[in-house]
Amino acid sequence: MRPDRRVGRFVEDLLRNRRPRRFRATPEELAAMRAAAELRSARLGADLPDPVFVDRLGRRLREELSGEPRDRSLTRRRLLLGAGTAAAAAVAGGAAGIAGDRALAGAGSRELVPGGATWQPVLAAAAVAPGRAVRFSTDAVEGFVVNRDGQYRAYSATCTHLGCLLHEAAGGRLACPCHRTTFGLDGSVLEHELPQAPAPLPWLHTRVRDGQVEVLTV
Amino acid sequence: MSAPDPAPPARLRVVAGGSYADWESVYADNVVAVYRLVFRQVGNRPDAEDLAEEVFLAALPRLKLPAPVASVRSYLGATARTVVADHWRRHYAAPPAAPLPEDVTVAMPEPAAGDGGRATRLLARLPERFRQILELRFLRGLSVRQAAAEMGVTAGNARVLQHRALRRAAELSEDGE
Repeated sequence: MRPDRRVGRFVEDLLRNRRPRRFRATPEELAAMRAAAELRSARLGADLPDPVFVDRLGRRLREELSGEPRDRSLTRRRLLLGAGTAAAAAVAGGAAGIAGDRALAGAGSRELVPGGATWQPVLAAAAVAPGRAVRFSTDAVEGFVVNRDGQYRAYSATCTHLGCLLHEAAGGRLACPCHRTTFGLDGSVLEHELPQAPAPLPWLHTRVRDGQVEVLTV
Repeated sequence: MSAPDPAPPARLRVVAGGSYADWESVYADNVVAVYRLVFRQVGNRPDAEDLAEEVFLAALPRLKLPAPVASVRSYLGATARTVVADHWRRHYAAPPAAPLPEDVTVAMPEPAAGDGGRATRLLARLPERFRQILELRFLRGLSVRQAAAEMGVTAGNARVLQHRALRRAAELSEDGE
């Protein structure tokens, strides 16, 4: 299809407030499409949110951020693992009052070995039955300890999509409440409804000493 | 966020001591600004709502409150920038966002405005025919056919004109205001 046709269709969708069709755009098409997006806000009030949306999102956030006991730790400092959103935004947030990333593995790496890390006990090994995942928190990381046939390994408990906290779901799965992604007990992605599969869960070096599961973290 | 709005809507409230105590006040005070910031970059309501939601879901759990208003806003702005860049990259193969220099903050629009100021100024800088086709389409909401009739050209010509006008607007937009 000719470039002006594809951009034309994109403009039609914008003007009707429809979600535009996705396609691999050329740099020239992208420039025109971005200009069109900006021009959509020329109409008085076009860029103001629907009050229904504002209320709905407020309720959604309340469910996510307060209430559930497992979410108490949301106010705690934690590792943000691999999410590009967090990594970029942490630059702006790092200066003042915002818990940013602490010594993270680079993008693409699944193994987290923070600089200056020490072994820290997080759970009694006996507390994690085979085939189960049990939540733990340290000052730096929110995680799960997984017991697979007597082998213990700690995984990050934050979804690799947007950093929502996972919870253990039936059938040996770790589920994300935000976009219905689920991970297996080996950190792999089992189900997702996103345009692109999120990364598998990063894991931490884990060992058992004196009946305690220990993870290498700051 | 400099000049105070003369008549702020009830939803927006002045934050005592210039800091946010809880996420509810962060949300109430910034939801309109974040939505506008996102809408201006995607131009349609369904995508803007999804992306604004992504911004808050990503940013709010990571805020360590209380925190100064300015740093929360710059954090929200940076998160929005990343979320929008990721949207364009995933759906339209745009290049990823360049890393943000440490000393740069992302400006948030005034939450109460919604006056289309930047877009209107962009239109005003275009040559006459380009400005005309874009105003008929984007301000008056006419179809290509109606706009063509208004301008006395064929629908095909109007489509080509619209495309060229958008390309020119993109160049002007890149040069900055």
